[in-house]
Amino acid sequence: MKALIIDDERLARAELRRLLTAHPEIEIAGEACNGDQALALIAQTSPDLLLLDVQMPGMTGFDVLERLDDVPQVIFTTAYDAYAIKAFEVNALDYLMKPIAPVRLAAALSKVRPRSGPTRLERVFVRDGDRCWIVALPDIYLLESEGNYTRVHFNGHRPLIRRSLNALETQLDPAVFFRANRQQILNLKWIDKVDLGVAGGLSVTLRGGRAVEMSRRQSGRLREILSL
Amino acid sequence: MAIQGPQNRTMKVWDDSTEMETSAAYWAFQAFYWGIFAAIGLAINVVSGGNIRNLVISHILFFLYSVGLTHVFRGRIQQRRLRQPSNFRMRLWLFAGILVIAVIQTVLVISIDSALNGERPGAWPRVAVFGVGWGMYIGTLVWTMVYVRMTERRIQERKEAKMQLAVRAAELRALEAQINPHFLFNCLNSIRGLVVEDPQKAQDMITRFAALLRYNLNRDRQHTVPFSEEAEIVADYLALESVRFEDRLRVQVTVDPQARAMQVPPMILQALVENALKHGIARRPEGGDVQIHASSSNGKLILHVTNSGELGPARPSDTQLGLKNIRERLHLLYGDRASLSLQNGSGTVVAKVEIPRTA
Repeated sequence: MKALIIDDERLARAELRRLLTAHPEIEIAGEACNGDQALALIAQTSPDLLLLDVQMPGMTGFDVLERLDDVPQVIFTTAYDAYAIKAFEVNALDYLMKPIAPVRLAAALSKVRPRSGPTRLERVFVRDGDRCWIVALPDIYLLESEGNYTRVHFNGHRPLIRRSLNALETQLDPAVFFRANRQQILNLKWIDKVDLGVAGGLSVTLRGGRAVEMSRRQSGRLREILSL
Repeated sequence: MAIQGPQNRTMKVWDDSTEMETSAAYWAFQAFYWGIFAAIGLAINVVSGGNIRNLVISHILFFLYSVGLTHVFRGRIQQRRLRQPSNFRMRLWLFAGILVIAVIQTVLVISIDSALNGERPGAWPRVAVFGVGWGMYIGTLVWTMVYVRMTERRIQERKEAKMQLAVRAAELRALEAQINPHFLFNCLNSIRGLVVEDPQKAQDMITRFAALLRYNLNRDRQHTVPFSEEAEIVADYLALESVRFEDRLRVQVTVDPQARAMQVPPMILQALVENALKHGIARRPEGGDVQIHASSSNGKLILHVTNSGELGPARPSDTQLGLKNIRERLHLLYGDRASLSLQNGSGTVVAKVEIPRTA
């Protein structure tokens, strides 16, 4: 599995590299000492894993994630608790406190999975004011277009993401995410029940109670998929 | 009052001076009260006709033994108060004591008067005995009550002042910034890397790290330290940060010789430098310069800490805690006589602190 080390301190990177020699399954695809370098390297190597320092000059670790279309698996490395708590909230794979204990590194690495395919979106990074999330796609039950932005519904949160619904759609797995109408894409795995709507279209209720009205055309396609 | 040294020493100084003031006030009060009492008595007796010489003698004596009796009584009450501070029983003791004093005063007044005039003490008419007795009793009672009131108010004031002092000391302690934990752990991490790369440098850094920790832990006992001590610790701190920032951090330190012995609050220069590093180095991928200059002028210590960068609008993540903290500490220690200012230079930000010689 390909990993990138992103940290502004040379000694910290060297230390992490040394620690990773105990894990031959991790191939270090590169090192970056700031956000710009990191973004370039990620585009170039499409890694499975980022070992990401939170506090860096210029761009923080969160800033880096925000600029990524598809977010690899992330293990945050941090010197102190304050950011660890934040990292936890964003649902990173794990977070490691510097100096890093080899046992903790092993535990974190054991959660890393290879990428399923190169084109599919697996995770998105969302920031809403002070809060941020790395959202796994299966947790998203509804995507709503709001101009050039998309509202992402998951776990009771619904922050905006800086990408259009159409742009997102091209990266989604069509077997899971289904276009309900011009405004909305729903996650088929979250469908709770399907009713006949007023205008002949279908009305889908998602788990959690959210109702989505299907367009006439898409109702027909949904009938086929669900073999109703 | 300003906090000068360790808290306990300051408190003691404060207590002693108050005790002295109290004694002076007490004696003045004694003299004034019994003096007036005796003077009024003398005036009345002179007007009603009597041997002036005898009257003066008896009233001077009255003044002396009244002061003496109440003084002894006050000593007793204070001893008792230490052992048993119950207010109600204290009051009972006061009343009983005053009665005894009044009786003694009455006996003395009559005896001395009789002796001076060559009469038998028993010759005093009953009404006169009662009159003198009551006079004494009321007199001493008023004296005592006024005095007790004053003392209680003074004790209360002292308690409040002490509390204020304690609050101040606590505020100061809270403001004396701890080592930034972020720095602490980053530092340990760098040293861990150095152990493999450059063991000798790693050893040096561990020693410096220990010095910085020790300074921080011991600091609580003193509110100020010689600037030379603070400068040494800042040198350690900068050496440690240099390990992290490597060639991104460039430092230049100049300290005028007369500044070295001057007193500063501990960790004040460190906090300024930390702030400079945070804004001038850590946020800039290309790093920057930090210049430290210490000099003295008109008995004031002047610190300049200059870092690359520009004063911009505060970022939302900026708490401005560092500088606010320094300001509050300076204010608590020196009032308005110390100052901290920030200004833009050409491509630099200069923090200037002025610290007066004494707290």
